[in-house]
Amino acid sequence: MTTIDDKQDIIQYVPFMSFVHPSFWHSLTDMKLNVDKLNENTKQIYGRYSYRDDIISVLEVDGTSFNKDPETEFHYINVTGTLMNKNTIEDFKNIDKAALINSVGEIMRANIQIKSWIDNPNSLLNFFVLSFADLKKFHYYYWFAFPAPSQPVVCLKEKCKNISTCFNEKQIKEISQSYQLLEISQKCFFAIVKDGDLYNVVTLSKILDKNRNKDEESNIDLTNTFFAFADHSNCENPGWPLRIFLAALFEYCPDLSKTIIKVIGIRCSKNGAINNSQIYNITVPETIQTPQNVGWVGWERNERGNFGPKLANMSSSMDPVKLADTSSDLNIKLMKWRLVPDLDVTIMKETKCLLLGAGTLGCHVARDLLAWGFRHITFIDSGKVSYSNPTRQVLYTYQDCLNGGRRKSEAAADNLKLILPTVQSKGLVFHIPMPGHPIGESLKDETVTNIELLTEAIKDHDVIFLLLDTREARWLPTLISAHYGKITINAALGFDSYLVMRHGISSAQEETSINSTFVSGDQLGCYFCNDVTAPGNSLKDRTLDQQCTVSRAGVAAIAGALAVELLVGTLQHPLRVKAPAVYNLTDEELDPKLQGVLGPIPHSIRGFLHSHQTVLPTCTKFKQCIACSEVVIGKYKEEGLDFLMNVFNSGTYLEDVTGLSELQLTAEMTEILTLSDEDQDTTSI
Amino acid sequence: MRRMNCNTITPEEFVYAARDFIELSNKYFDSWTIHQNDNEILNTYIKKEEFVSHRDENDKIFLYRAEYIIFYNLSYGVPSFSFNLWDCSGKLLTLEQVREISLMKISKEDFYSVVTQQEHPVMYRPYFIIHPCHTAKIVSAFRYTSRNLIITFLGLITPLIQLNLPLEYGL
Repeated sequence: MTTIDDKQDIIQYVPFMSFVHPSFWHSLTDMKLNVDKLNENTKQIYGRYSYRDDIISVLEVDGTSFNKDPETEFHYINVTGTLMNKNTIEDFKNIDKAALINSVGEIMRANIQIKSWIDNPNSLLNFFVLSFADLKKFHYYYWFAFPAPSQPVVCLKEKCKNISTCFNEKQIKEISQSYQLLEISQKCFFAIVKDGDLYNVVTLSKILDKNRNKDEESNIDLTNTFFAFADHSNCENPGWPLRIFLAALFEYCPDLSKTIIKVIGIRCSKNGAINNSQIYNITVPETIQTPQNVGWVGWERNERGNFGPKLANMSSSMDPVKLADTSSDLNIKLMKWRLVPDLDVTIMKETKCLLLGAGTLGCHVARDLLAWGFRHITFIDSGKVSYSNPTRQVLYTYQDCLNGGRRKSEAAADNLKLILPTVQSKGLVFHIPMPGHPIGESLKDETVTNIELLTEAIKDHDVIFLLLDTREARWLPTLISAHYGKITINAALGFDSYLVMRHGISSAQEETSINSTFVSGDQLGCYFCNDVTAPGNSLKDRTLDQQCTVSRAGVAAIAGALAVELLVGTLQHPLRVKAPAVYNLTDEELDPKLQGVLGPIPHSIRGFLHSHQTVLPTCTKFKQCIACSEVVIGKYKEEGLDFLMNVFNSGTYLEDVTGLSELQLTAEMTEILTLSDEDQDTTSI
Repeated sequence: MRRMNCNTITPEEFVYAARDFIELSNKYFDSWTIHQNDNEILNTYIKKEEFVSHRDENDKIFLYRAEYIIFYNLSYGVPSFSFNLWDCSGKLLTLEQVREISLMKISKEDFYSVVTQQEHPVMYRPYFIIHPCHTAKIVSAFRYTSRNLIITFLGLITPLIQLNLPLEYGL
C-alpha cells in the first residue's frame, strides 16, 4: 500500500478568470469606430492580475488596457496580451481556435528559445482575446486564452506548504522587503537564493545565463535556490503562471531532469506581508522539454463551464436608445418607490392609445402620455402642418411646415420618436366621416374605406382619445368605441373653457338608484348624452375663424394634461373602465372602493379660465343618446354601413331613430312628471 | 466660528477632508484613491474598487466588481455616496439585481427610497446614488468633533453597504 507521501500529484494549475471592466468595451468601441474601422490587425493590450491573497484569481482588463504603457498598481502584475477583433460574427465563429492558440504558442516558444525572458521575465506570461463587437446592439462576443504548452506534465513531490515551514518570521520579512524593491518587470518570475543565513531576492538573470550553450551544465544550486513567481491562487494549487515558468525553465536547462526543484508562490496580504506564500516541491520528469509539435492549451471556460465564448451584453449601459428608455422609465418607477407603492408601472407601457386629432390637444396629450410612460401612441389626422401650427401644436417645428407641410399624423409620430426613440408611434391619414355631412357618390368608396380604417384602429387600441375640433367628428368614434367597450377620453375646448370627460361603454343600462352617491364607470354618459339635438353640420354658415377652435393659449395644455391624468387614474383603478365616478366630490373622506391608487376619478371636468374655476359634473347614460344608447348601437350592429350612411346623409335621422324628435315635443311634460316622482319618493323616505 | 449654523460643507472642506482621508487610507492599506481636477474643484472624488461575491439560493457563487465613489454633492452641500457593480463581462447590475445580492442590509421598501439610479454629476454615467437628504444633518452635527468628515460620512454609509473598512479608521 502506498502512503500519501509516496503519491505523486499532477499539478492542477489554478486558471485565470477573465474579468472585464465596462470601460474596456467603451475603449474597444471607440478604437474600432475611430481608428481601426475595418482593419482587423491584432492589437497589443495589457491585462493585470494580483497576487494578493484576498483577491480571487482574475485577470482584469479595462479602458487603460489599450494604453501604450500599462498603469501600475500595488501588488498587481501587468501581462501583455493580444486582441484579435473580428469584423464579422462568422469570422469570429469559424476561425480555427486550436490553430489560433497554437500560433500564439509558437511565438511564445520562440521567445522561450531565444531566452529573452531571462532579462524580461514578465514577457513569459501572455494572454489572448478573440472578439467580435456588434456595435449596433452593443453586444461583445469574446473569448480569452492564457496559452501554455500542454506538456510536460509535472508532479508535486508533496502537498504544498506554507512559507513559514522553511523560513522564519525575520527571513520572510526580509524577502518581502527586497521583493518590493524588484523592478516591476522582474516581479512576476524571480528567484530566492540562500547565502549563509541570508536569503537574497534576485532576478532570474542573476542565476540563469542567457548566453550559456545548451550542452553546458546549468550550474544551478538547487539546494539553495528557490524559484519564485507572483501567485494569484488562493488555494493549495499553484496559479497558472507557474506552468509557463516551468516550461521555460526546463527548456533552458534540460539537466533539471529527474531533480526536485523548490518553487515559492508569492501571495501577499494587503499590507504587503507575504506570510501566506506557498512552497511547492516539484518533481521534474525525465523528459522535460516541450516537444516541437505539442499543442497549446488555455482557452477559458465560459459561465456554463464549457470551452466557448462569452457574451457581454452592454446595451443597457452603452446603447443611447436603451439609456433614454430606461432613464425615462426611472421617473415613473421613482413615483412607485417613493410615493405610490401600489402604482402599476407596466400598465402604461402596455396600454395602446389612439389619438383622434393631432392638433393642439393631440400634441399635448401625446407628450403627457410619453411622460407617464405610455409607449404605444397612434395618431389619426387628415390635415397638414401649417405655418400657424408649431407655436401651439407642441410636436411640430417650422421644418414640418415647409413645402406645403407634412401630414400631421405622420409628423407627430416621427417627432415623438425624436423625443424618445423607443416609442411605438404611428400616423394614419384619413378623414373621419361626420353625421349631417352628406356623402356624394364620388366619395362613397373613400368613406367606406375610412370607416373600416377607423374601426380597425379602434379595435387595435385600448384607449381612444377624442381630440377633434368639431362636435360631429366625435360621433362615429364615440359610437364605435362604446360598441367595443374601449376606454374613451374626450377633450373639447372653448375660448376660455374646456371639457375633459370619460365615456361609459356599451352595456345593458342599469337603473341607478337616485340615492346612489356614484355611477359605475360603464354607465357613465358620453359626450352626446347631455344633448337633445343630433350633431348637424356645425361648419355650415360659419366664417373661417369660427371653423377652427379659437382658444386661450393655455387651455389646450390644461385640458390635454387633465385628459391624460383622467386616463391614468382610470387605468390605475382595479375596475379600470368601470371605475365609479362620485356625484359630489368633496374634500370629505371617501370610501376607498370609490377611488383608485391615485384618488377618485371624476366623470367629467369642466374648467373656466375666466373665473379660474373647475366643476366635476357626473351623469349617467341617456337612454335616447344619439351616440351610445342601446337603440343606436343596436342599429349599428344590425345595419352597419347602411345605418351609418343614413346618419351621414340626414341631419335628423338620428333624432328619429332615438325618439329625440318625439322627446322634444313632450320635453316639458316629462320634466314635470319626473319632478313629481321625485317629490313623492323623498316624502316617502 | 465661521458658518457655525450651517448644515452644509464647502467644496474646499470636502477636498481637504478627502486628501486627509486618502492619507489614512494609504496608512491602513485601504485602497481608496483620490481623483482631482485642478481646474474644477467640484470634480474631485475618491474611489475604491473591490470584488464582492454573492452566493445564490442554489449555492452558486457569483463574482462582481464594485466601484464606490464619494463625491461632493453641490445641491446638498454634503458628500454623496455612489456605486456601481458589474459582472465578469463588464455588464452593469440593475437596481433590482443590486437589491437581490444583498450588498445592502436594507428592506425592499427602504431600499428604493434610499438608492436611486441616476446620471452621476461627476462621472456623467448612470450610477446608483444614495440619497443625500439626511446626510447634512448628521455631518453638521459632527463637523467640529469629527477627526475627518469623510470618516464620519462613511460611518453613515456602512450600516447600509458592506464596505469592509479597516477598524483603524476608528469608526
